Amino acid sequence: MPVLEVRNIRKTFGKTEVLKGIDFMLEKGGALSIIGSSGSGKTTLLRCLNFLERPDAGVITVNGETLLDCSKPSTMSESQIRKKRLHFGLVFQSFNLFPQYTALENVMLAPVLLSKENHVKNFDRSALKSEAEELFASIGLSDRMKNYPHQLSGGQQQRVAIARALIMHPDILCFDEPTSALDPELTGEVLKVIRGLSEKNTTMIIVTHEMEFARDVASHVIFMDSGVICEQGNPQEVFNHPKEERTKQFLSRYSNS
Amino acid sequence: MQTFIEQLPVVIGALNVGFLQTLKLFAVTLLGAFPLGLIIAFGTLSKIRAISLITQFIIWIIRGTPLMIQLLIVYYFPGLVLHNPIWGGGEQGRFTAAAIAFVINYACYFSEIYRGGIQSVPIGQTEAGLVLGMTRRQIFFHVTLLQMIKRIVPPISNEIITLVKDTALARIIALQEIIWAGQAFMKGSHGISGAIWPLFFTAFYYLVFNGIVTVLLAKFERKLDYFR
Repeated sequence: MPVLEVRNIRKTFGKTEVLKGIDFMLEKGGALSIIGSSGSGKTTLLRCLNFLERPDAGVITVNGETLLDCSKPSTMSESQIRKKRLHFGLVFQSFNLFPQYTALENVMLAPVLLSKENHVKNFDRSALKSEAEELFASIGLSDRMKNYPHQLSGGQQQRVAIARALIMHPDILCFDEPTSALDPELTGEVLKVIRGLSEKNTTMIIVTHEMEFARDVASHVIFMDSGVICEQGNPQEVFNHPKEERTKQFLSRYSNS
Repeated sequence: MQTFIEQLPVVIGALNVGFLQTLKLFAVTLLGAFPLGLIIAFGTLSKIRAISLITQFIIWIIRGTPLMIQLLIVYYFPGLVLHNPIWGGGEQGRFTAAAIAFVINYACYFSEIYRGGIQSVPIGQTEAGLVLGMTRRQIFFHVTLLQMIKRIVPPISNEIITLVKDTALARIIALQEIIWAGQAFMKGSHGISGAIWPLFFTAFYYLVFNGIVTVLLAKFERKLDYFR
């Protein structure tokens, strides 16, 4: 059974139809790369999966449970969605760390607040802290836990953002162009962390313009164009033997640059 | 005719009493207007159009008319129009009326500053909170609020310093604040009349108090310097 099943997602902003019916599946432990030019709808799709946008139509199923069915308004209420969105994690292009908290506090804030919201008795703060510290070790930032975001480089901030998403144990971790806001020399450290996650079979969806990285890490690739999935398949197929003319054009623009 | 040296303690004593009333009005206005302003700001930001329009209308009225008129209306309206002088005649009644007018007036100014502050916090902060499963309330109190406060300290400081001096307007309903106390020595009070120098002393009180307020606000601003 696939961990994620997306059927017929549609989204319109005003008169612009950004997603024109998106269908795909993702296996547990798989890494899906979504590529395509700016404005093709990649980010909107990711935002729909994280319920930052409400799709106009479509069904999202995780582990067999229907999280969102646009034909059933009861699945779309704010409180329902808040619980369901924890199936997904999202790492933003612009990091969005909370500036008033240290790196460690950034990672621990959401689990602490969630336990308060759920009235968890005997909440084990020290267990959470040691889990956070392990995450910091895994992203190579054990020595920067006490730093505030503005004291960290972009690459370090993005790695903290990844740890912040991981501590919620999402079923599917989404990345929205995680290296696009970084100086070129800082992309490597972030990609290395994501690569490490894929080696540990973390289920991921990665929207990226790093073609080489998408090919290396992904188990499955989707090429989007003008709000539809133009082509999909395993990385070898899509990158080395694209069938669609639009895919060929897109990839040639990248190989030339 | 008493000498200046004899008059000074009398004047200082009277000014101190007046200044205490000034301070009280200042403190009550801040305590009331800070939270009320936030509620009004949420009103203008409400997604329910009717609520947003009504609050914007109220802000227009309050900011568009002189505080002095608002003081007169709050103080005299219940007695003269409703025939129900709820404030009573004494100093306490005048203070309550003045405090209500000041709180409403300053809350409207604060609300616009708050609104600007809330809107200037990047939307990505809220979105990051949402995808981490936080409630809207948690996001506001644990993520947005402090960032908003940091941004609004300079404009709020301006309003606070203006408020120190605006308290003098409460004289219009005969609240015995410090300028009232100083001016009394021109007309005649405590056996002293025709003296203008006590009025200059009141200016000194304002200067010193605003100096203290300025230093405290600068300290608070520096306290928030630890993040960006």
